[in-house]
Amino acid sequence: MSAPLLEVRKLSKSFPGVRALKGVSIALQPAEVLAVIGENGAGKSTLMKILAGVQRPDSGAILMNGAEVEIRSVHDALARGIALIHQELNLADNLDVASNIFLGREPLRGGLVDTKRIRREARKFLDAVGLDVDPATLVGTLPIGCQQLVEIAKALSVNARVLIMDEPTSSLSAGEAEKLFKVIHDLRSSGVSVIYISHRLGEVKKLADRVTVLRDGENAGDLAREEISHNGMVKLMVGRDISQFYPHEPHTPGQIVLEVAGIRTPAHPGHALSFTLCAGEIVGVAGLVGAGRTEMLETLFGVTPALGGTMLVAGKEIAPRSPLEAIGVGLALVPEDRKRQGVILEMTVRDNVSLASLRKDQRAGFRNGRRERELSAEMIGSLRIKTPHDRQIVQFLSGGNQQKVVLGKWLALRPRVLFLDEPTRGIDVGAKQEIYRLMEELAREGVAILFVSSEMEEILGMSDRALVMHEGRITGELARAGLSDEAVMRLATAGEKVAA
Amino acid sequence: MKKILGITALLALVCIITAILSEGFLSGYNIENLARRTALLGIISIGVAFVIITGGIDLSVGSVVCLVGCGLPWLLTKQNWSMPAALAAVALVSVGIGIFHGVIITKLRIAPFVVTLCGLMMYRGIARGFTQDQTVGFGGEFTGLRTLATGQISIPFVDGFTLPAPCVFLLVAALLAAIFLNRTIWGRYMLALGRNEEAARYSGINTDRMVIVAYVICSALSGLGGMLYVLDSNTAQPVDFGNFYELYAIAAAVLGGCSLRGGEGTIVGILVGAALIMVLRNMIMLTTNYTNIEFAIIGAVLLIGVIADELVKRYAMRRRAARALLAETKPS
Amino acid sequence: MKLTTTILALAAILVTGCKPSAPSGSGSSGKKKVAFVTNGVASFWTIASAGVKAAGEKFGVDAQTLMPAEGIVGQKRMIEDLLTRGIDGIAVSPIDPANQTGLLNEAAKRTKLVTHDSDAPDSARLIYIGMDNYKAGRLCGDLVREAMPKGGSVMIFIGRLEQDNAKRRRQGTIDAILGRPENPANFDPPGTVLEGNGFKILGTLTDEFNFAKGKANVEDTLAKHPDVNCMVGLFAYNPPLMLEVLQQAGKLGQVKMIAFDEDDATLAGIQKGTVHGTVVQNPYMYGFKSVEVLAELAKGNNAVIPANKFIDIPARQIRKDNVDEFWADLKAKTGSGK
Repeated sequence: MSAPLLEVRKLSKSFPGVRALKGVSIALQPAEVLAVIGENGAGKSTLMKILAGVQRPDSGAILMNGAEVEIRSVHDALARGIALIHQELNLADNLDVASNIFLGREPLRGGLVDTKRIRREARKFLDAVGLDVDPATLVGTLPIGCQQLVEIAKALSVNARVLIMDEPTSSLSAGEAEKLFKVIHDLRSSGVSVIYISHRLGEVKKLADRVTVLRDGENAGDLAREEISHNGMVKLMVGRDISQFYPHEPHTPGQIVLEVAGIRTPAHPGHALSFTLCAGEIVGVAGLVGAGRTEMLETLFGVTPALGGTMLVAGKEIAPRSPLEAIGVGLALVPEDRKRQGVILEMTVRDNVSLASLRKDQRAGFRNGRRERELSAEMIGSLRIKTPHDRQIVQFLSGGNQQKVVLGKWLALRPRVLFLDEPTRGIDVGAKQEIYRLMEELAREGVAILFVSSEMEEILGMSDRALVMHEGRITGELARAGLSDEAVMRLATAGEKVAA
Repeated sequence: MKKILGITALLALVCIITAILSEGFLSGYNIENLARRTALLGIISIGVAFVIITGGIDLSVGSVVCLVGCGLPWLLTKQNWSMPAALAAVALVSVGIGIFHGVIITKLRIAPFVVTLCGLMMYRGIARGFTQDQTVGFGGEFTGLRTLATGQISIPFVDGFTLPAPCVFLLVAALLAAIFLNRTIWGRYMLALGRNEEAARYSGINTDRMVIVAYVICSALSGLGGMLYVLDSNTAQPVDFGNFYELYAIAAAVLGGCSLRGGEGTIVGILVGAALIMVLRNMIMLTTNYTNIEFAIIGAVLLIGVIADELVKRYAMRRRAARALLAETKPS
Repeated sequence: MKLTTTILALAAILVTGCKPSAPSGSGSSGKKKVAFVTNGVASFWTIASAGVKAAGEKFGVDAQTLMPAEGIVGQKRMIEDLLTRGIDGIAVSPIDPANQTGLLNEAAKRTKLVTHDSDAPDSARLIYIGMDNYKAGRLCGDLVREAMPKGGSVMIFIGRLEQDNAKRRRQGTIDAILGRPENPANFDPPGTVLEGNGFKILGTLTDEFNFAKGKANVEDTLAKHPDVNCMVGLFAYNPPLMLEVLQQAGKLGQVKMIAFDEDDATLAGIQKGTVHGTVVQNPYMYGFKSVEVLAELAKGNNAVIPANKFIDIPARQIRKDNVDEFWADLKAKTGSGK
């Protein structure tokens, strides 16, 4: 084998107070999909930023085709054919597809942008990623999956030979993700190499030719194509054997605590939703992105009040017009967008944990400071929130710990029903398992849990029962015995073809 | 409290420099003037700070000052209302304006900047309308009522200085505001929703009501300020009474550590900010012959203060982030 | 913390950098200090400040002109701070004389106080230096009748009506146009249309020293009354704005213009014939006389106080025939040789 296309040798990088990379090495062959995985804080992002020229390493070498190179800037990286596709896309919503692809490199004619030419050229790159949209379409009007493909087309237009993709499927629906995988296969066939970063081990298994695992800023091990397995990856990532990743044990459902009958959400007013939820039960809600799962939770929680139908909590009829009313009857929601809806990033752990309980613990309108301290201490202890003290600003915690803060805020109110919307999105394997364990414990204590997840394995691994939604409807309910990948997908697509 | 250290030091520095340059600065007469001016500005600044803390802005402060400042003498002297009726009327109007702003902002989701900008134009226009652009004043009457602003309270064991009455209003307002903000659940709700309104709402906070309350506090204190201003000056011209006061109030709040992004601010800081503005202007008058550049100086000091605050904050953030990372990577 | 210290040091430099060469505190240079406080910021007061400066040099006092940009509250603050500073005399143009008595009396108690431009007869001020605005207004009204012997429609523009001087000036103009007998106590509301003596006064528009609005007022008048015969601008900056609008509208000379005060554009307009005439106060003399009187009072010479406590600085009419001479004199006084 000739020299690798891209090789990194003993790369180190420190930030004030932390060594993010301690001599990491990776090698990328031409036309290869290399998955780089690891828990949050393992050093993946730093490594990728160095390769893309966003940051400079303290020591170590980067080689391309066997020759040492220096990547000083994003511009440098692009000139050498390395393009980074960020988790949050870098597209201008208000420009059309072609303008985005050629942004900053517009060919001019007579001092003006040669619109005809960029549209013609854009077509070529859009074809390469299999995206059939008019180059004159505004990017903002495209679904997120298509925007991602536009970003890839943009990378191809600068002749990228190495594409770095950071969590590319985190906001894609299953169908869109499938399409992306196909594009990645095609790119590989045409000689482009891909470094693929993901928390979703299922995808990695499907896509990667090879896996490099990082842990605590060091190489934890490599897995060749035939060695790639879920457990194998997890074991390298967390450094120990996690024998049972999903700690689920079947629960005996208790009394019905939530009965939803004919609720209509403002997002999908044409469909009435009905189901029941029992104490001590964990029910998963599966479906593609846009199936109306989040909207359902928001309506049940009073964020967007229902247009009709009834809702009984512990036998009492209520129609929450605000989260405040929903909380009053014992509901709680861990929302999908943690940073925007879950925590208040600039406030402390203590202030976040106590926020929902202030009203309950008030003394004639005054806050009960002692109770706030007790609560936060209790939650930090029982949820094992890793924080130096409860005055720490939440922003500085990892995603997993932030999520525990949100959970702590609700558990302080001892809810009857807990809604979880994508509870493990964007948090690392170790923290994920802790969240699962917590769900188990709560269910054992009799809390009814309804959780929305886009990760099939999570639905299969954690649910006593699963509801599957499609375009605003509940298309089916699967008992644990009948839960399978195929059954869920069939209901989630309602017979619609999934792009292969 | 660390946040207001810099601004307090700056205030002290300006005071020391002025005291060295001007012998009149530390005279009882001047200190009384400064205390009274700071009190008047401080009262409206506390009001606007509540709005800023919830992430909003109120540009109508100066016009509310004008409306009340012209309305009160107009009702008393031109319409011959009784004093309780006139006071009740201006109080109702002030609170009503706050409710009006708050409801439009929360229920119709119109940007506070726009709503209160319209308020800025409307209330002054209304004042000019009913006064027909005539200056309104108390003449030599209502001296009893005017004592609220012009009264002097002698302090035991202190000679040559008496506390101007508006300072009492300020101290009471500041104390109540500080207790409200720091000790009550509503105060915490305001801080929370100023940081992240959505997360606050998802946590069961009636964010709309809190926003309305903030605007009511702001308008009510603007009205109180307007009343004290006119009682102090004895006369108000609808055309320019209270002109730009919203900007001074916002400047005082920002100097005092309020972030226009919301969720931050201390009452003590706002008082220091208000005092700084007033002392700076006093310094320029006392020590130079160039009063026309005073805004350049206030603007520069404000900018320097805000930049310094931002740099210090960033530095603290970086250190904190580094510490947090360390804490998390340590095995527990 | 090191950073904060640096910033504070910078601020200190900035702050001390503003200290002028003039010493502070009264008496440190031996010179008496007097101040001339206006009622706003305007070019009229710039001329007055030339008089202040000239008198300061002539009579050996440190004379300063202060223009409050913030109305009554700002004027109060300035006067209070002047008192703190230990001033030997203040000449002030009170914005609302009737209601500022308290402040003026406080000032009169602590220093020598005179009023200029606008009087506060109920206060303890020593002298009023100025002109009778009602009479000046009548001079202006006479110019209107002179420009339009057959009568016609007239619109009046003025900064604001709160001030006593503005009220009287406007009333004098109206009374003279309508041929009423002298009665300074008249008051016609600004919005009403007045008719008489062959004239129709369409109204009085105020702009509160906002030049953009002042200009808009003229434009709106042309739009609403395209056949207006005459425009009167009663504050110094009104006529230049009017000239500008009339020029843009191509109506220079068609609409008769009567001005007040002596802005360069106004005087140039009289030379060209686009302005029929103006009534000039003598702001230069306001400044000069105020400082002269204050300098004497500061020395303890109370003989400068006349029996009626009024020093008249009379107004004059300026037309094409005497404009050149007047302007040359003005330039000499303000030191602008251009």
